[in-house]
Amino acid sequence: MLVDALKSEAYRVSRNRTAVFCSVLLTPLLFIIGGVAFHIITKTKGDALAAKASLPAEMGNQPVNLADALGFTATYGANGVLLAFMLLAAATVYAGDYRWETWRLISARNGRPWLILGKIGVMKALAMIAMLAMLIAAFVFFISQAVVTGRPMAFDLTDFDLGRFLLLWLLSLIRIVQYGLIALLAAVVSRSLLAALFVPWALGFAQSILGGPLTPVIGWAPTDWAAQLLLPGLAYDTLKAAVSPGPMPMPEGAVMKAITSLTLWCVVPVAASIAWFQRQDLSKE
Amino acid sequence: METVIEIRGLTKTYGTVRALDGLTLSIPRGGVYGILGPNGAGKSTLFRTLLGLIRPTAGEATVMGGRIGDPAATRRMGAMIETPRFPPFMTARQVLVWLSYAHGGVPTAEIEAWLKRVGLAEAADRRVRGFSVGMLQRLGVAAALMTRPDLVILDEPTSGMDPPGIQEMRALIRSLADDDGVTVILASHQLQEVQRVCDRVAIFNKGKVITEGRVSDLTASGERLRLSVTPLARALGVLGDRATLDGDALIAAVPRAEAAATIRALVEAGVDIEEARWIGADLEDVFMSETGWTGVQGAPVKGTDHAG
Repeated sequence: MLVDALKSEAYRVSRNRTAVFCSVLLTPLLFIIGGVAFHIITKTKGDALAAKASLPAEMGNQPVNLADALGFTATYGANGVLLAFMLLAAATVYAGDYRWETWRLISARNGRPWLILGKIGVMKALAMIAMLAMLIAAFVFFISQAVVTGRPMAFDLTDFDLGRFLLLWLLSLIRIVQYGLIALLAAVVSRSLLAALFVPWALGFAQSILGGPLTPVIGWAPTDWAAQLLLPGLAYDTLKAAVSPGPMPMPEGAVMKAITSLTLWCVVPVAASIAWFQRQDLSKE
Repeated sequence: METVIEIRGLTKTYGTVRALDGLTLSIPRGGVYGILGPNGAGKSTLFRTLLGLIRPTAGEATVMGGRIGDPAATRRMGAMIETPRFPPFMTARQVLVWLSYAHGGVPTAEIEAWLKRVGLAEAADRRVRGFSVGMLQRLGVAAALMTRPDLVILDEPTSGMDPPGIQEMRALIRSLADDDGVTVILASHQLQEVQRVCDRVAIFNKGKVITEGRVSDLTASGERLRLSVTPLARALGVLGDRATLDGDALIAAVPRAEAAATIRALVEAGVDIEEARWIGADLEDVFMSETGWTGVQGAPVKGTDHAG
């Protein structure tokens, strides 16, 4: 049953070029274009500065370490731009059957929880593919840096910490999926594609407004229960900081609060969506 | 009589509106079963309830032996409810592949065969956003039938189709019942089509079944006498409210036992009778009399000729 839901949803998404392009390809493409432009500008400015300061040529010949793409993607994969475009796919996947009135075609022959879980599974897969596309874009970013600046390339894993990389990668995935789950709940409750798109966007906007003033200058996100529970973005930042510890000690209990917050922000929308959908009349999707 | 659907006291309310009002109905296995009723009679609500798309307010029903909403039972059903809609970016072939995945897998050859059978082979790779209503109906029928279900619900399957398409659909429905042993439940506003293709019908009004039975029995009960007479006014005076005008003839609601006496009374009143013959009511007459719908005022009552 879940297999049927996964296969059908994956097939449908794969045929939706707009959703696939927006969620998987657009952010990496923008990143590559922006990156190449950035390297050209910094090279031009850097050459001018070096000529003025009469710096030795070998100073600009440090190799570009392509392995940095791994850490870069794991840390910054779930960036705001990617999240925004992933929401386009999330809204299409979660609210598409209401918009196209297609629940009647698929919901009669499968359990409703399976259909919801199938959609979540497909969004997880899309998030993973988007992260892989970001990884490729990061490699292109570093390669273009070497090409534009004329520096040699290297692939040095000396400072690479596999455990930290995997944890950061997992956190980024959770962040993308968790954002999408808000779209799921909005879609099921409102039956509207626009609501599925704008409710998570509004939440992200509110977090960016509230998160700034709440974050002290010293760098730690506020770690009281209310802030962590209300703002999943803060919980995510806390966990990222815990995985890559800085010079400041982490407040006691912060990690547990953050894990609780992210867990609730993932579990509650799924449970609420399934419960709501189970009782929902599909008289007119 | 073995049944595929058993409905007992099914009620569905939307606010103050009772879409289904204590509906009770048994639908036998095999053949084509028609569901008739004016707009808002509760046909689509019943179908959606049987498919588990909406929850009844009260009452119960079993479909293929399982409770409504039980996927094990509904997996043996195929359905097309109202005008079907599909993701607009998909082609007709992709729609069927997508639904085959959703329904546990249908062989590719079967999908191709259904595209051909419903007349969409040439349009198989066109996106459905450009499809006419008739083409969407064809695709909806293919989607409903490609899993080879034991029970098929088709809600207005010929809506938007051209006359050859309607004829093809009628033949397809009959062949499903006669050759493949599928039970077909058909809702349609085209009463002549229903009369031609259905074995039994139920007429709905305001969420209730108001009459049910074999098509031949229902139409036979409305048998009437068609009289070509002159002068019409004098004949109308004799027959009173038992007669209605049908062009330059009269349709008299007279039982066979009283026919001779009625004709004698007309002759004695100086009415010349050129022709007298029995006609059976068609489904449209039954439908209109059962639902209390009078149609366009002054419109003639139609009849279907038969020997008598």
